[in-house]
Amino acid sequence: MGEITLNRIYKDFGDVSVLKDINLDIDDGEFVVFVGPSGCGKSTLLRMITGLETVTSGQVLIDSEDVTESKPSSRGLAMVFQSYALFPHLTVRENVGFGLRIAGLPAEEIAQKVGHASSILGLDPLLDRKPRELSGGQQQRVAIGRAIVREPAAFLFDEPLSNLDAALRVQMRIELVRLHERLKTTMVYVTHDQVEAMTMANRIVVLEGGDVQQFATPIELYDRPVNKFVAGFIGSPKMNFLKSVPTADHAIMIKNGPQLSIPTVDQTKLTEELTVGIRPEHITYSHDKGDLKGEIIVEEQLGSDAFLYVEVENIGMITVRAVGERNFHNRDTVYLSFPPERCHVFDASDQRISTK
Amino acid sequence: MNNENTGWKLAAAFVITFIFISPIIWMVLAAFKTINDIYAIPPVWVPDFSYLENFKLLLSENWQFLLNSTIVTLCATLLCLIFALPAAFALVYFQFRRQDFLADWILSTRMMPPIAAAVPLYMVFNGMGMLDTLPTLVLVYAGFNLPFAVWVAMSFFRNIPKEIIEAARVEGCTWVQTFRLVALPLAKSGIATVSTFVFIFAWNELLLSLFLTTREAKTFPVVISSFSTVTKTYWELISAATIIQILPPVIFTILMQKHIVSGLTMGAVKN
Repeated sequence: MGEITLNRIYKDFGDVSVLKDINLDIDDGEFVVFVGPSGCGKSTLLRMITGLETVTSGQVLIDSEDVTESKPSSRGLAMVFQSYALFPHLTVRENVGFGLRIAGLPAEEIAQKVGHASSILGLDPLLDRKPRELSGGQQQRVAIGRAIVREPAAFLFDEPLSNLDAALRVQMRIELVRLHERLKTTMVYVTHDQVEAMTMANRIVVLEGGDVQQFATPIELYDRPVNKFVAGFIGSPKMNFLKSVPTADHAIMIKNGPQLSIPTVDQTKLTEELTVGIRPEHITYSHDKGDLKGEIIVEEQLGSDAFLYVEVENIGMITVRAVGERNFHNRDTVYLSFPPERCHVFDASDQRISTK
Repeated sequence: MNNENTGWKLAAAFVITFIFISPIIWMVLAAFKTINDIYAIPPVWVPDFSYLENFKLLLSENWQFLLNSTIVTLCATLLCLIFALPAAFALVYFQFRRQDFLADWILSTRMMPPIAAAVPLYMVFNGMGMLDTLPTLVLVYAGFNLPFAVWVAMSFFRNIPKEIIEAARVEGCTWVQTFRLVALPLAKSGIATVSTFVFIFAWNELLLSLFLTTREAKTFPVVISSFSTVTKTYWELISAATIIQILPPVIFTILMQKHIVSGLTMGAVKN
């Protein structure tokens, strides 16, 4: 079992408040990703779950048991560090079996469990090597092996893939997801990479400025971000934000741009200043007709997609993601339209007021 | 670097090395000479190396003081490590109020010159009836080196990546297990460094031993100093004794040197 509950958690470092009133319920067997920009407190939150960091106030519960004051060693959790933190003086076999040895298990049982873990992770040929003789990916696997042999209540990952190269990162991402499906153990994973968050998580916690902005499934975050921060953070390229104002007839007008009739806006929440957000992949574009006329400043061609950076007079730069598009180039004139059902509307305090 | 430069550098290295090593060469040669040969003019450059009377005389009369030195040095080094390593570990990894102050305060006790402590120490051990005993010297030497040993050990513990210690804690280690199974093996080179320094200090210490011992617990450096008297200096015995005196630190340092290697923690974490 590995149900983790954070109850009114606050954390201060001296006078600096790092986390404010964090409340989270992580279900048993869930894969939860903490994501946010640098310094948002996501690693600190993870370290408070492990007990490596003290809690200023609030409670940490694991399976309904209050472990706020417990030592890391007695929480029954396993952690994988960004730097892997393998014991350099021990072989792979000893590293993987370290926790079991500390727990005082008999040697045969340790050997059997280490053997099982190493076969899952493909570590068999490496068991007698020292960490320094391994590649980054192999070291990462050893660190994961060390975590899984102990059959912990939950796995905690602190940016485990950020030291790997891009190709290996994708491979390890898939392996971790498969591992989660196989073990069905709670996993809490910290990353600043939204792609990792979107692809791996059952649910994502978006943190910013020491606050939980939104705790929801990846699709929910993409489709219904609660505020402008989440909307801008999830998705790549970033969502376009356009200054807007409400019109007399309950429509919304983009400043210096077209009027949009967005059906799902909560009319009671309209404010003087609004922001309309639209993702680059939802903008329609054409050579000859549309709501806005602009010029392509930069074309980023990826083959599968083209990112068009379009300068629109009096509005600014708008990013368009054109899937498979090859007919739009630098200096071309392009017409853009915003399908109203794809638009998000944020009020003056950046909260989302469109309700789709 | 071109060859001409290398030649000059080699020559300079030889000259400098010779300046430093010449007293030792003189001493080694003198150890195999009679007192008359030492003062002979023209000098006897190469002595008869089969002449061992100086060593025989020296060791037959003073072997127990050499033994004292050995016991005191080994025990003081061990005692110092037993206290310094856990203290340094705690100062680095435990979080408590005024942590830095405590570390500075420990170091400050080393700032007084040994001579300032000699008389008070004499009085304390006199009062306890412990003058001229080996445990007294062990205590004093270990104590004198503790601050230095703690600080050096601290720097080695600090070099262990923090995540490794945290990993051990999450894996279920108590602090004692973390210290014993993870921190100590990774601070091996630190232990070698600290023990080398304490060993050399204790082995060569003269001043406090002069104060605190008379006969029973006398150490070898005191014996050497006694060969220079008001009326006569026994150069042949001093030379022979000095060779015996410098051998253990040299051997100890050579043995430890291979452990004083950097990069022990390489491959543990990726930076």
